[in-house]
Amino acid sequence: MMAADAAGRIVDLVREDRVHGRLYRSEEVFKRELANIWYKVWVYVGHESEVPNAGDFVRRQIGLQPVIMVRDDDGGINVFYNRCRHRANLVCLAERGNAPIFVCPYHGWSYANSGELLAPTFEEGYAPERSMEEFSLTPLARVDSYRGLVFASVAVDGISLAEHLGPVAEFIDLFMDLSPDGRISLAAGSQKLKYAGNWKYMPENSMEGDYHGPFIHKIAFDLHARRTGLDVSSLHENEVPDVIRSLPGGHMVEDYRGAPLPPRKGEPSPARKAYAESMRQRYGETKAKTLLGTIAPLVYVFPNLIYVMTHLRVVQPVSPGQTYTYYYPVMLEGAPDEVNEGRLRDHEFMMGPAGFISPDDIEIMERNHHAMNATGDDWLFIGRGLHRERAMPDGGRSGMTMDETHLRGFWRHYAQLMDAPDV
Amino acid sequence: MSESALAETRPINIRDVERFIYREARMLDEGRFRDWLALWREDGIYWVPVKHGDADPARDVSIIYDDYLRLEQRVDRLLSGSVLAVQGTMHMRRVVSNIEITESTSGGTVAESNFVLGVSRSAEQQLWIGRSIYTLEADGANMRMIRKKVLLINSEHEMPLLQFLI
Repeated sequence: MMAADAAGRIVDLVREDRVHGRLYRSEEVFKRELANIWYKVWVYVGHESEVPNAGDFVRRQIGLQPVIMVRDDDGGINVFYNRCRHRANLVCLAERGNAPIFVCPYHGWSYANSGELLAPTFEEGYAPERSMEEFSLTPLARVDSYRGLVFASVAVDGISLAEHLGPVAEFIDLFMDLSPDGRISLAAGSQKLKYAGNWKYMPENSMEGDYHGPFIHKIAFDLHARRTGLDVSSLHENEVPDVIRSLPGGHMVEDYRGAPLPPRKGEPSPARKAYAESMRQRYGETKAKTLLGTIAPLVYVFPNLIYVMTHLRVVQPVSPGQTYTYYYPVMLEGAPDEVNEGRLRDHEFMMGPAGFISPDDIEIMERNHHAMNATGDDWLFIGRGLHRERAMPDGGRSGMTMDETHLRGFWRHYAQLMDAPDV
Repeated sequence: MSESALAETRPINIRDVERFIYREARMLDEGRFRDWLALWREDGIYWVPVKHGDADPARDVSIIYDDYLRLEQRVDRLLSGSVLAVQGTMHMRRVVSNIEITESTSGGTVAESNFVLGVSRSAEQQLWIGRSIYTLEADGANMRMIRKKVLLINSEHEMPLLQFLI
């Protein structure tokens, strides 16, 4: 049977070229999203570089559920519910840090970083035959990683992470391979933002910058061109086939391999030259040329992870009309410090609360949310390029630079998950 | 010693600092960003870190880390009329207090102050609170900023857009 709750049939709210405003506003829809998406599928939790040493931990959330990602003494990465097995207090309050053990502040129960209960307090009050072993921190039902990206799932059953990622893995590889070691680091931390709007605006907006860019980001593009000599505005003038990709699993990609960047003006610095050389050595001339001469693909891994230009962006739903978002600059292991520092400065130029690009997107999302209270005709139109989209061998579809092919793919997958029968 | 050289080496006192910080606050509140730019030495750094404590701008992401060129761009952008987050009716006023000189060296005078800034752009009034740490040098009768670091009390938490000068 289909999920029977007040949200109704989601497929009625997602047409081929349109989605209904209720999907962004409704409390019932939000509740169903938690159950059918956030607590079913693989959700990105963090990157292994955030917990390099035994005892390192970060606090995170999956949907509304607090979790911790922790490196144990054997070097493994665990994801636990952040909830004491005694009477449900947060065992970890700090957002990140290193701790030999987790001690619940309420009644002092303590846990190893492997999750094992070390000791309840005042143990003599429990019957000697009462085994306390069952009271380890509860791990997420499934935890797996891809190239250091750690994902977890609340659901016991489901497809493997490899199946969930499917063809999007190839695009994750492309931005990871900007590192001459093939490894990224999120050690630079994150900028944190909140906005009054639905979480789904973030993937939708993040992955369609070519269409809205000339309207809301023009001043930033002009300033960027003036500073770096790199003019990205031409990307919007000539549409290229197959840039926009929807992938099975609700993932979205903007693939710029067919749209090389104009060469940078001026002589590269010694550090940039050394970086380019190490890239050629690692990947060979042809692949290095693609990696260095095009914008790395913009990648959305359903439901909460986005790679854009300089950073990984994480989307955190709070309520239908409240969302948190985190911008983690991606540092390239093995690249010269100057290159990574340059990436940080480029990132701050564009992103975060005081950047020159992402704030315009955030403002648009808040205005979207306001406008959606006008319900005379409650449909949003996502039909650009519908007549010319192509089926791809990976099971997805492709469109031209400014088409909305990928948004349609996102919504098809969304409707399917939302209407999935209760098990 | 010439008169201008005398002025340059004149020690900065607390009254000078107060006058400077109040004037800067008024410029920022009233959107006089080009006047504000003129308060900077051209190798200045305007820094709003995320981390309180030992943040290293070469390794830790910042909310803002502007050299003078980027500061000019920030001002150009804010004055362009195309920044969506400042369109509409927007007013702001800040109260600056707790002004102290914390260090005086040949490299400049370090002064610190607290601020409370109210921003109104809709029915929801925003409150921004923090501490500004200035490195200043005498410039004739006036002073110039070599560095301004702003520690926002909410910099490590989820915050709304910061599309003005703080």
